[in-house]
Amino acid sequence: MGSLIAQIVSVTLMNLGSLRRRLWMSLAMVFASAVVVAILLAFLAMAKGFEATMSGAGSSQIAILMREGSASEINSVILQDQVNLIAESAGVARDTNSPLVSPELYVIVDGLKKSTGTEANIPLRGLNETGMAMRNNMRMVEGRMFTPGTNEMIVGEGVLREFNGFEIGKEVRFGKNLWTVVGVFSTGGNIFESELWADIKIIQSHYNRGNSYQSIRLQLENNGDLKPIQETIKREPRLNLEAQTEQEYFASQGKQLQYIATFGWIISSVMALGALAGALNTMYTSVADRAREIATLRALGFSNFSAFCGTIAEAMVLAVAGGLLGSLAAYLFFDGLNTSTLGGSFTQVVFSFEMSPDLFVQGAVLALVIGFISGFFPAWRAARMPVVVAFRHAT
Amino acid sequence: MSDFYLVFKNMTRKPLRLFLTCFAIFIAFLIFGAVTSLKSALNSSVELSADNRLVVFNRINFTQSLPIAYVQKVAAVEGVKHVTHLNWFGGYFQEPSRQVVSMAVDPESYLKVYEEIVIPEEQKQAWFNNRQGALVGEKLAQIYGWKVGDRIPLSSNIFSHKDGGYTWEFVISGIFKGDTEQYDTRQLLFHYKYFMETQTFGGDWIGWMALTTDDPAINENVAKTIDDNFANSQNETDTSTEKAFNKAFIEQIGNIGLIIFSVVFTAFFTILVVVGNTMALAIRERTGEIAVLKTLGFSSTRIFRMVLSESLLIAFVGGLSGLAAAWLLVEGVKTFLARFLPNLILDGDIALQAILFMLLLGLITGLMPAFQALRLNIVTAFNRQQ
Repeated sequence: MGSLIAQIVSVTLMNLGSLRRRLWMSLAMVFASAVVVAILLAFLAMAKGFEATMSGAGSSQIAILMREGSASEINSVILQDQVNLIAESAGVARDTNSPLVSPELYVIVDGLKKSTGTEANIPLRGLNETGMAMRNNMRMVEGRMFTPGTNEMIVGEGVLREFNGFEIGKEVRFGKNLWTVVGVFSTGGNIFESELWADIKIIQSHYNRGNSYQSIRLQLENNGDLKPIQETIKREPRLNLEAQTEQEYFASQGKQLQYIATFGWIISSVMALGALAGALNTMYTSVADRAREIATLRALGFSNFSAFCGTIAEAMVLAVAGGLLGSLAAYLFFDGLNTSTLGGSFTQVVFSFEMSPDLFVQGAVLALVIGFISGFFPAWRAARMPVVVAFRHAT
Repeated sequence: MSDFYLVFKNMTRKPLRLFLTCFAIFIAFLIFGAVTSLKSALNSSVELSADNRLVVFNRINFTQSLPIAYVQKVAAVEGVKHVTHLNWFGGYFQEPSRQVVSMAVDPESYLKVYEEIVIPEEQKQAWFNNRQGALVGEKLAQIYGWKVGDRIPLSSNIFSHKDGGYTWEFVISGIFKGDTEQYDTRQLLFHYKYFMETQTFGGDWIGWMALTTDDPAINENVAKTIDDNFANSQNETDTSTEKAFNKAFIEQIGNIGLIIFSVVFTAFFTILVVVGNTMALAIRERTGEIAVLKTLGFSSTRIFRMVLSESLLIAFVGGLSGLAAAWLLVEGVKTFLARFLPNLILDGDIALQAILFMLLLGLITGLMPAFQALRLNIVTAFNRQQ
């Protein structure tokens, strides 16, 4: 047994030692696996970053109500008396004096993107103090809260990262109205950081919205329990609303980028097939190149198995080297890369690519699989070829 | 013994290697074809926009509305040929997930501004005369199996109907086509007047305007005059060419598209480098044989030609089959994706581009070893063999 291991080790070392002779072929193999790993990681990092942005926003403590049939906030309309009816419903949490209900409204405004210098949609959300208080993870990073009743607004960190002209103290003009930025808030990296916040009454009056809203957020008495609210809606014909937890809402909003992640998996799997063909070619050539060496070893009494292992080890070393190179490239180019895209409500969602450790693990696994498969078949051939034939064919 | 026979024999001497090489090229071009089609589908709205068409939106953002009185003022601006206005309806058919691109428009002026729309004269008149009438694009009609004369309910996820509910009833007056294959006909158009009279809120406001100018050269002037007219009013406007607007909208999808495409293209080229290397090596291995051929009296140019045609042949066998597979794929998912990407098509331009890359791959991988073979000194070659 000990001698078998010794044999495998010496064959492997010999193979690796002779890599220099097949420099270009070996590099081709490294490249091939590097590309596959890099593509996969890029797509996964994007999906991961987007998911973190979307899912971090959703709490099962909070319900979001919109007009039935409207897929997102922007399409929904809710009137003041509907807000009042809901506020009295069972199942809504209350603090000492009032129910925790936040009617909200947003309009879409334009911002200048830093990366392209072009205009893109940002939501300007109007909300009241209860609404602010209900977002537990919200904190001011800089500056102060807006004063209700004035043209002051606070901006999310994401907006600050991706757009020009929203620094503290800056005046921003939307149409005829001039707004002053007085603070920057963070909500722990989630989607709300892609928004501008201001006083709801001011937005209603500036944008001719009367006493209308788009969504109602409310704190649930029991975590995740929508039943009492849904019963109120069913009983009361004036409430043509649909209730879901914030978690469900953002999960459905996040779907579209999930498709991109799936697309990424498909592309990298197909690419992996192409790269695998290249890698197999490399290894077959490598084995053919060493046919005489292998035959000599076997004539000397080395076992078939050690010849087999030696070849597989060579392939795996090359593939893992490629995997490392690919992960490194993906990490350098993509980790923390800030970007934004059009989200479910027609507005920009700002997020960063996120290369988490488990992504590296997935990349490493993929590299190992490529190495194993591309080593296995050529190694099989090398180990089975009769010694005599090997000597005859070697040139 | 023809040269082709030799080329063929050389190529197929290691069937496994040939297969693997072709397969890698096949995959590379399959992805190239599919992804480039996707990319051009995303950009097609920019390509198709008319040169002399401008759009006027509220300066705050294109989702904000404008007062209807603006239409007359814009029509009076010099250089404006026709002007029309549109309202986004946010329509869906039966289920909120089955969204229908639907707009409330002023019929006569709409058809003047959007000249791409082709419709039989009697259907056009029928639409003008029926306030509840709707004009439906060919592709949309196909999706739901609608015919002229059908009564269809369409719900809005924004507006509500005066009689309660969100559902409007329309009669299909006509089915239109586009003047080009790529014109997106998944739309439904209906009377603004009908919409105004039956909705509960938002009266006398329009979403945006579209207009044509007498000449694309005066676009800039017209746009400036319009915006100046409404400067410092409650609703300032932002006028741009349709092309610029569509482009800006696509840019909103953002760097993501750019990142995806650059990643995929890097991968495409790396695969080509990797296979190219294998192909070049396969020929270099045969240095000795080439020396023999030379000894036998094959001229250098003849050998050069043979080597080059071999690598070109491999590149094209793999590449063309990959491109064909991409075409099949695109055709296959076309109907499935029609709702998101109406113009998914692998057209001549993309195919031509792919063929250029195949040519390049074949030439580069063939040329180097072929040159080496050409300059090969027979004696050195034989010496090197042992």
